[in-house]
Amino acid sequence: MKRTLIVFLGLLLTLSARAGTTPPAPTPAPSPTAVASPASVVRVNSTNQNFDFFRPWQKKLPFSRRGLGAVIEGGRVLTSAELVANHTFIELETASGGVKSAATVVAVDYETNLALLAPTDPDFLAKSKPLGIDDQARVGDRIELLQLESNGSLATTAGTITTITVANYPLDQIALLVFRVSLPLQFRDQSFTLPAVRNGSLVGILMRYDTRSQTGDLVPAPVIRRFLSAAVHQPFENFPRAGMSFAALRDPQLRRYVGIAPDAGGVYVTEIVQGGPAQKAGLQEGDILLKVGEYAVDSDGNYEDPVYGRIPFSHLTNTVFPAGKTVEFTVFRNGKTVNLPVELEAPDPKSIISENLVADQQPRYFILGGLVLQELSRSYLREWGPDWKKEAPQRLVYIDEFQREQAADRGKVVFLSQILPSDLAIGYDELDHVIVKKVNDRQIRNLDDVAEAVKTPINGYHKIEIEEDPGVMYIDADLARDQEKALLDQYQIPAASNL
Amino acid sequence: MSRAAFCTILISLWVLGDVAAATSMADSVVRIAAVGQNPDYKTPWNPGEISSGVGAGFVVAGNRIMTNAHVVSNARYITVSHEGDPRPYPARVQFVAHDCDLALLTVEDPRFFRNTKPLEFGGIPAIESTVSVYGFPIGGDRMSVTRGVVSRIDFQPYSHSGVDSHLAIQIDAAINPGNSGGPVLQNGKVIGVAFQGYSGDVAQNVGYMIPTPVIRRFLKDVEDGKYDRYVDLAISTFPLYNRAARGALGLPDNDIGVFVGDVYGGGAADGHLRRGDVLLAIDGYPIASDGNVLLENDGVPLAEIVERKLLGDKVELEIWRDRQAQKVSFPLSSPWPFQMQSTQYDLKPRFVVFGGLIFQPLDRNFATAQNPQNLRLRYLFEHFISDHLYKTHPEPVVLSGILADPINAYLSDYRFGIVDEINGAKILRLEDVAEAFAKPEDYYVIKLLGEGRPIVLERKEVEAARDRIRQRYGVRFEQNLTP
Repeated sequence: MKRTLIVFLGLLLTLSARAGTTPPAPTPAPSPTAVASPASVVRVNSTNQNFDFFRPWQKKLPFSRRGLGAVIEGGRVLTSAELVANHTFIELETASGGVKSAATVVAVDYETNLALLAPTDPDFLAKSKPLGIDDQARVGDRIELLQLESNGSLATTAGTITTITVANYPLDQIALLVFRVSLPLQFRDQSFTLPAVRNGSLVGILMRYDTRSQTGDLVPAPVIRRFLSAAVHQPFENFPRAGMSFAALRDPQLRRYVGIAPDAGGVYVTEIVQGGPAQKAGLQEGDILLKVGEYAVDSDGNYEDPVYGRIPFSHLTNTVFPAGKTVEFTVFRNGKTVNLPVELEAPDPKSIISENLVADQQPRYFILGGLVLQELSRSYLREWGPDWKKEAPQRLVYIDEFQREQAADRGKVVFLSQILPSDLAIGYDELDHVIVKKVNDRQIRNLDDVAEAVKTPINGYHKIEIEEDPGVMYIDADLARDQEKALLDQYQIPAASNL
Repeated sequence: MSRAAFCTILISLWVLGDVAAATSMADSVVRIAAVGQNPDYKTPWNPGEISSGVGAGFVVAGNRIMTNAHVVSNARYITVSHEGDPRPYPARVQFVAHDCDLALLTVEDPRFFRNTKPLEFGGIPAIESTVSVYGFPIGGDRMSVTRGVVSRIDFQPYSHSGVDSHLAIQIDAAINPGNSGGPVLQNGKVIGVAFQGYSGDVAQNVGYMIPTPVIRRFLKDVEDGKYDRYVDLAISTFPLYNRAARGALGLPDNDIGVFVGDVYGGGAADGHLRRGDVLLAIDGYPIASDGNVLLENDGVPLAEIVERKLLGDKVELEIWRDRQAQKVSFPLSSPWPFQMQSTQYDLKPRFVVFGGLIFQPLDRNFATAQNPQNLRLRYLFEHFISDHLYKTHPEPVVLSGILADPINAYLSDYRFGIVDEINGAKILRLEDVAEAFAKPEDYYVIKLLGEGRPIVLERKEVEAARDRIRQRYGVRFEQNLTP
């Protein structure tokens, strides 16, 4: 079931999308005469250099990626976050003429896989034609994917939106609206991230394409719009969540058990995120969610969207409603209907136990007497390769996967990632990825706690308590301090920590 | 955690060196043909597949035959024969020790033992000395003998149970299927029982035999008419040659003492030792900082002292606790939690079927048969001991399968879930599941670990579906609680 996931950069082509063969015009297209133009797309050449989580003091080999960006209003270029992750240099290039400009990242959101770039040369986009955004596309509509030929002309591929639903985005962290399109694509010029247009306006950006089934998923215009409106804030504000999970409620035995009518719809609330909006509003596990705002929720968790039809209600809470908005959730509980106002908010990054993606910053680490301590993140686990869920240390994988079951004040998971062998840590070499609980009797919730704790050794020793067997390690505090420089030199490590 | 896979191999060898004794010894080596039936943990109500195998054995005192446990595991019918007598004689297992891969068989017909002579046991052979292995490698009716040199004497995992390690002797004679259970002889005495080797793609010319300390312990254990299993301290130890650690614990820099990293509940040391203690000596033998003791001039893991003891025997430890030396002494036992991770034999699978849902305890037999990829389940299995999960889940019960029926049409996502509660009662072992379903309730509400949505079965639906499911899927009986 593996799919080739390909992320494209958006090209913009105002295609005479009205090219007439489409079913009876569903919605008025924004500008019926619009045709995609090469002036609406730019090439994005990004040189990236990922950090090495196994050696957090260094970067891996740099590599380059080429993709496309869609020019939008305000002198900005929209492209995929993946293209510019861990970039060291980004260069924009016009479709024809080869005019170039360096660019900076204005906003990046790895959850939605979108990035907004600004050229450093203010005149670079002077002759471009910004794309409008069209969020009225429906199932059955024809769209066109834009690519650039090497000579700078547009190559367009026509396709159809076959499904509109809510699905997991590449990071697996959030489920948002996607347009599933069917179209036969041939890749040009190694382009990565392709814009999709309808009647010359942007309807989405291709985030994955399966060459075998010739289907792809678009990050659709509503998500793009939401991203752009969030991008005005600094720092970027993540998409909001209701902070709950649910299960379908079709099973008639379960319906009878909870005492709800067969045709009343509703989903079973299975989990409430601690400290999240749903919990604050008083939702409980076992509630039956019947309505979100004005929209009735069916037993699969779908509502009837005026534009997109039956799609999961999380589209409302993640995308339609902004953070800060209060939405009334109607639940069925103990035979009664209860209304609970839920104020949507984006999750607080500090509350995250294991980050899904650590990008654009050096991983944090702290070396103590040759023990290399790091904070758990999925980026670290992914260093084990595509099979990381099996290959990486199982306890860490387990904590990452079920982090919502950890105590809410757990903090980050500080663990021993490796040992730089020396006299200081001799005898500890069989310890493998153990989790640090306390250092010098101080509770460890992140690496800053470690840095603080090592200031107060106990009787001349650093006492490092770990969750696993054997429970405790000792490092001679004076020797660790005196030998630190020699140890770092020996292994050619530039700094004893990065906090 | 990947260990080189051990391939268990049946071996039996002759000593060629001792021509005079050879004739009578050959008559004492026995060919064992065993028909086994291995239970099917996927359809636990079925009797399982019938298979047959050949191994070797040898006559020991008391008209008994010694062989490997794995030769006769799950056996339904065993026959033994030896050269010079054309007929096979039915035999039965008298004692079997799966934790050290040894078994004793008896033959009712006394005629079998005519012309046989019980073999005697020797000691531990010297490194580089020559030994001979007798058996029936890769089948065949005629005995085969190979000769090898003792390469190494060491603690080794015994692959039959998958969790036990004991002393084993490595030899460079080829050990192949059919050699298992055969004697390894030197100077006319049995100095080992051939039992396992590596498959050719891991290592070559490496065979292992069970040495006489392990054999003698087994014979002593069964003297009272039953086998009690190995005893264990049920602790983990950690080397203590780091000077900072020694300093912080107030120990002299003399390379004595090993750190107690963990103490497992339900084990012998539970309540007597605790994490952070340092073991200085065991039964008077000083323990080096790498965990070895000097026994008969050989450094062996301190576990070897415990290994030679029997259930209820005491161990004397000198420990370092709170900067003071103390003595503790306690009787030894077999820790129960480790059984869950060990391959078990001669048991009937335990299970409960209810509403088409199959419930089974999580153990190695189950995990091997089903190979579940579910992360929570794998974690529970692999970290059962190390994370002390046995305390909260003494016997994890898995929703292991769903016999599809309208009654469970919406439950397929919950396969491999671990049962936490049924109707509010905590499920600690399979019996609790059977008990909960035996109570007449309108609804059976099953909560799985980490799943917010309960599984709900209505009694009237379960009763209506019962015969339908039993017949359609050939479920011969709906539960088995006795192993």
